[in-house]
Amino acid sequence: MTHTPQHTAAAGNSPRGRGFARPALILLLSAAALLLICVLSLIAGSKVTDPGQVLTALRGEGDAHLQTVIASRIPRTVLGACVGAALAVAGVLVQGITRNPLGDPGLLGVSIGASAAVVTATAFLGFSGGVGTVWIALIGALLSVSVVYLVGTRGGGGIAPLLLAGAVVSAVLGTYIQAMILTRPEVFDSFRFWVIGSLAGRDLGSLASVAPVLILGGLLALMLASGLNALALGEDVATSLGVRVAWVRGGGILSAALLCAAATAAVGPIAFIGLAVPHIVRSLIGTDHRWQIPAAILLGATLLIAADIAGRVIARPGELMVGIVTAFIGAPFLLLAVRGGRVVRS
Amino acid sequence: MSAPRAERILLLRAGTRVALPLRARSLLWSVLLLMALLVAAAATLSLGKLGIPLAELPAALLEPPRGAAGFTLGTLRGPRLVVALGVGAALGISGALFQTVTRNPLGSPDVIGLGAGAGAGVALTGVAWPGVIPTPVGALLGATLAITVVYLATGRGFSSPTRIIIAGIGVAAMASAVTQYVVTITLRDEAAQLAGYLAGSINASSWGSAGLILLVLAVTWPAAAALTPRLNLMELGDSLAQSLGGRTRSTRTLAIIIAVIAAAGAVTVSGPIAFIALTAPQIARRLVRSPGVSLGLSALIGALIMVLADLIAQQAGWAKGLPVGVITAGVGGIYLGYLLLREWRKGLL
Repeated sequence: MTHTPQHTAAAGNSPRGRGFARPALILLLSAAALLLICVLSLIAGSKVTDPGQVLTALRGEGDAHLQTVIASRIPRTVLGACVGAALAVAGVLVQGITRNPLGDPGLLGVSIGASAAVVTATAFLGFSGGVGTVWIALIGALLSVSVVYLVGTRGGGGIAPLLLAGAVVSAVLGTYIQAMILTRPEVFDSFRFWVIGSLAGRDLGSLASVAPVLILGGLLALMLASGLNALALGEDVATSLGVRVAWVRGGGILSAALLCAAATAAVGPIAFIGLAVPHIVRSLIGTDHRWQIPAAILLGATLLIAADIAGRVIARPGELMVGIVTAFIGAPFLLLAVRGGRVVRS
Repeated sequence: MSAPRAERILLLRAGTRVALPLRARSLLWSVLLLMALLVAAAATLSLGKLGIPLAELPAALLEPPRGAAGFTLGTLRGPRLVVALGVGAALGISGALFQTVTRNPLGSPDVIGLGAGAGAGVALTGVAWPGVIPTPVGALLGATLAITVVYLATGRGFSSPTRIIIAGIGVAAMASAVTQYVVTITLRDEAAQLAGYLAGSINASSWGSAGLILLVLAVTWPAAAALTPRLNLMELGDSLAQSLGGRTRSTRTLAIIIAVIAAAGAVTVSGPIAFIALTAPQIARRLVRSPGVSLGLSALIGALIMVLADLIAQQAGWAKGLPVGVITAGVGGIYLGYLLLREWRKGLL
């Protein structure tokens, strides 16, 4: 995973003209951290297991109960890695395109669209969980982003109308959701569990349903990295460098929407990864998007799995849903960054 | 923003030391808004099956109310109307102060995590550990804790608007996580009740809540009004204001304390009501077409939006049973849509 970006930078067209030793080292460390956290995720649970026993269980030997437990920890680790990476990359894209450090995929109406679709399906079609819900959430998320994008770009440029369109769609759908759940207790009852993203009890089936969307969004993001670097210099400069600003922006939003929609559909809305990880990535690795995106993949995955582990360990013998934990891990990071003056220099 | 125009100013003088500048435009709008409020209030009391007929309303208000009218006025709609007025006005004041201090049109108690903090406080004291601390106190504690964390996180007091807002996002996220957790661990009916409160509801208002919010207004409105000249000076920017003798840091801190008290009072009696603190000051600014804080107008507009939203919640068939916060959120969405439309027009012109 660490090879691709090194390769790109070695081609010698880094805009900053600096070496790539530091970013490469950070990527290497991030990859190591991800590996470590994946191992931890297999070991740690409501009961911490001895690593030796885990190895035995992975080979299909030893305690049958432990084998089942480990088998259930594998999919949630994989799912956590994919979802965390997708949300983090979506965050990098949105913050890069809007050039707003507060940019979050949620601004584009992704998770609210998914939520509205799930509420509607539960109320009128009687859906409750399963792969069907994944598809409905995905469709809702993509529909909502399309509306935001179509409405927000009709004015002919600028990012402010886009964000405003996102705010309007969120407000309208939020009201709709509230009205639905407050008047239909049975809808509220299943929705209140879906609306907090959780990795528990999800199988790889939901990941498989959204995998094509995830891959498409991820590839698009990697392709757009250098265009985003140019866009960071301002629209006029980017245009004069021969970058088609509208394509980069539209492609970036599409990619962010696909990634975030797939992630939300698979595990429910998870706040804060998309907002916090880009900040962490920028402070570690600088402004080059060709480094930022791989770093976001690694760190987003690490952070989400870490949050999931924390949720399993803190609330023993029960579990905290990962969507709750991400807020509690991510928010202090953000607060400390604000306090240290790394987010805003004023 | 259009260039500020010269506005006709009337000076009310009492002796040589006291002079109260009255802007003609603000005065006119205040009168119009007061009249609209009266109409909306009369409609609140008289519409519907249980309403007091308009012709009997003056008598019912003047005499000690009895019978059906007494029930409507004394229990059913009277306290609710007063709470709506008070909460709207308090949110309007709070929003006006926040937007001036953060110099950001999006600055509002919701954005910096106050509502979310209060919601978490209610979730914990009302649902997770019921009976330990009274729920309104829980709301107040939650709101205070949220704003304290925001204050600490910004590092240098409230001097950097952007920092306040980013820290607010973080604190709001944590508070919502607490609330969501409580929602998932409780039984369905309790959770649904909590969800109703979190949307902002005044359905079950008592005279106690009405008294509380009026008390909050009685403290915050005069205090904010006394601070207005210093706030207006800050509109010039910190360095210019300081060179003119404005104590920007203490002004900012005072304004935020007043704004927090007003918003915390509102959230205590009604739960977090969306969008009023955000929109009322902006509408007020647009009406008077001048820079500076329009405190009174913001309060009046906030009260009017709140009473109208509650009127819809009470009378419109499709809104039956919805808490008033859902309606204000809808109105807020429409307002944002209007902002968007304006951006388009600008782009097309």
